[in-house]
Amino acid sequence: MKFINKIIILTILTIPSIVNASFFEDITFKIVDNPKRLSYGVSVTDMDKNGKYEFIVTGFGYPNLALSYDNGKLINIANQKVFTDNLRKTIGVAACDVDKDGYEEIYFLNTDTYSGKKKYSDRLIDLEENKFLDLFEIEKNNKDLNLTAGRSVVCVDRKGNGEYGLYVSNYGGPTRFYEIEDGKIRDKASNLSLDNVTGGRAVVSGHILTDRSDIFAANERGANYLFKNNDGTFEDLAFDYRVDDVIQNGRGTALSDILYRGRLDIISGNWQGYHRAYVLEENTFKDIGNRKFDKPSRIRTIISADFDNDGYDEVFMNNLAEPNKLFRIKENGNFEEIILEEGLEHDGYGTGAAVADIDDDGILELLVSRGESKEQTLTLYKAKVDKQSEYLRIKPINKFGAPARGATVTLLTNQRMHSKTIDAGSGYLCQMEPVAHFGIRKNEKNFKVEVKWTNSTTKLIEIKSLNQTVTVKQE
Amino acid sequence: MKKKLRKFFLIFFIFIQFESIAEEKNYHKELITDWSRIFPDQNRNAAGPKFFKYIIDKKITYKDFIEFNKLYCAVSGSLIDPNSEPDFLYAYEIKTNEKICGDYYKCCIPCSCDIMKYSEVEKMKYEFLDGLKEFYVFTIKNPCNKEDFPDRVNKSYFCDGERINIDQVYSLNGRIVIGLLHKGRSCKKEEIDFVKSHRVTGRFCELRNNTPLENLEKGMGDIFIKLAR
Repeated sequence: MKFINKIIILTILTIPSIVNASFFEDITFKIVDNPKRLSYGVSVTDMDKNGKYEFIVTGFGYPNLALSYDNGKLINIANQKVFTDNLRKTIGVAACDVDKDGYEEIYFLNTDTYSGKKKYSDRLIDLEENKFLDLFEIEKNNKDLNLTAGRSVVCVDRKGNGEYGLYVSNYGGPTRFYEIEDGKIRDKASNLSLDNVTGGRAVVSGHILTDRSDIFAANERGANYLFKNNDGTFEDLAFDYRVDDVIQNGRGTALSDILYRGRLDIISGNWQGYHRAYVLEENTFKDIGNRKFDKPSRIRTIISADFDNDGYDEVFMNNLAEPNKLFRIKENGNFEEIILEEGLEHDGYGTGAAVADIDDDGILELLVSRGESKEQTLTLYKAKVDKQSEYLRIKPINKFGAPARGATVTLLTNQRMHSKTIDAGSGYLCQMEPVAHFGIRKNEKNFKVEVKWTNSTTKLIEIKSLNQTVTVKQE
Repeated sequence: MKKKLRKFFLIFFIFIQFESIAEEKNYHKELITDWSRIFPDQNRNAAGPKFFKYIIDKKITYKDFIEFNKLYCAVSGSLIDPNSEPDFLYAYEIKTNEKICGDYYKCCIPCSCDIMKYSEVEKMKYEFLDGLKEFYVFTIKNPCNKEDFPDRVNKSYFCDGERINIDQVYSLNGRIVIGLLHKGRSCKKEEIDFVKSHRVTGRFCELRNNTPLENLEKGMGDIFIKLAR
């Protein structure tokens, strides 16, 4: 009988999806005033300079929102017209400190047409004396407005000096790369050989190939781009590194340390195509996604994060009008499917999603935006976490006092070297909180953290205690 | 009872383990991944031969070879969905003028007609990882000295001057191999009758194959016909 018991236990352990049956808890009720609408990209930034993050949710013909956590609820605090902006149909969003004042500006990518020329330009929102203004509306910044349909935006500190630029992934017109030069916002895409015309979809930036901010752009009807940063200028190496994926249609993309080896690799979803889990081996990326992971779906956003604080990252796949999926990345890049009950959203028209520990309890919240061709509410989830679980959150701040988006944080312990990017823009149309969130594994000890800044320098810190957010400042 | 239970769980456990470890090769994904390697200029018009050459140059087993060759259309150069069904048809063997029957995986039905009319099959032997195998392949004659070589086909894929470019395509007895006839064998009478009476390989193909080239609008076949006729 003992033998049979052993076999039963072994069998149960072999089918982990059974024991993970109820991974998320639906906490959508925490969103105050949550009407049906067409929502798209989501970013996480401190829009009102109060030291707390808000979910910025874009609206397509609906107001852009800033959902702030207060007293157990998520409440929209955006009410100024230049921010809410019903008219311009916003889909992409990313925030970073473009003007080096220590606070993040918010780039709203507006798109009133599918491809090519559009009517309304994008906005770059700054907050001055409690008043939002669109920097593109200032006359000196009018020269290079983006009047091409687009999708995603990513922040890129290409020179590693804290001067963020914005890579705007356009559709049917040249890519834009905005930076402030001589006090004016200028499109430098042409100078940097980034002004390619493609069907731009998703874009990420971070330490992918070099110790500087590289860029990976997932495109449609054309090859993906992998821009290697050569001291601030870029060279497309997607073909050489085998991530060009020419005949698939790129969508949600995220940087993830798939092998827990202290480097960022690429997860990239393809619309009704094979999803990719690219890991760098010598001088080429190898796709190691298994059959369950790569199965074609109507994919939109992809997020890599440790939702349940077990020390292993999950990959959330947000599908449009098709059930969402969740995978846990185990050792050796083994993607193990977690069967969802909550968060499946069979009939959800998922367009974007973002994570943040918005209530500051050490567990990530997942906000899913929905819309596209059907007005739907936002949804909010949180993993059911083991009460004994522990976490560590690292918040790198650059020399100007702003979130160091594009920096890499690596957790070093007796069990792993686990890197996470400080998200500069990812998923599809989205951007995550600028914090590296680590759950802690069982019997894990000897915690150290290395922060690699966007200028390639590193800082190593000893971690004395867990269950805290450690702010690391660039010197 | 105890013994039976023990046996059941043991088999179940081994099965689960095997399922999780032994993941079947995804041939379709591999072709998609390597597409830009196969077609660096992104022109796959009538470039079935490029797929054939790419596949046979891999160090693979005969099973892999068969599976890969189900996934592209020898006539158009298109990729084919993994679960597509083949057409049963025949083509003439160049050496014997005998009808050889077998399965052809196509992107669209006109391609079945074109391959029957404009290609001929040959027996080919090849050493795979698991041994020497013999099979039938579709071939076309060397098109490189054609004055009306179709504009929409990348000539350098096929030709090195007036010779077949053997770095790019597979040459067999001075002809270009464009794809594999699956399960090829000499036709039986009832098989020929089946092909001739089938709504595609019979009726539709008769219509298509009697239509002047300038009136052909369906599929990539007209490009292939210009290349192969």
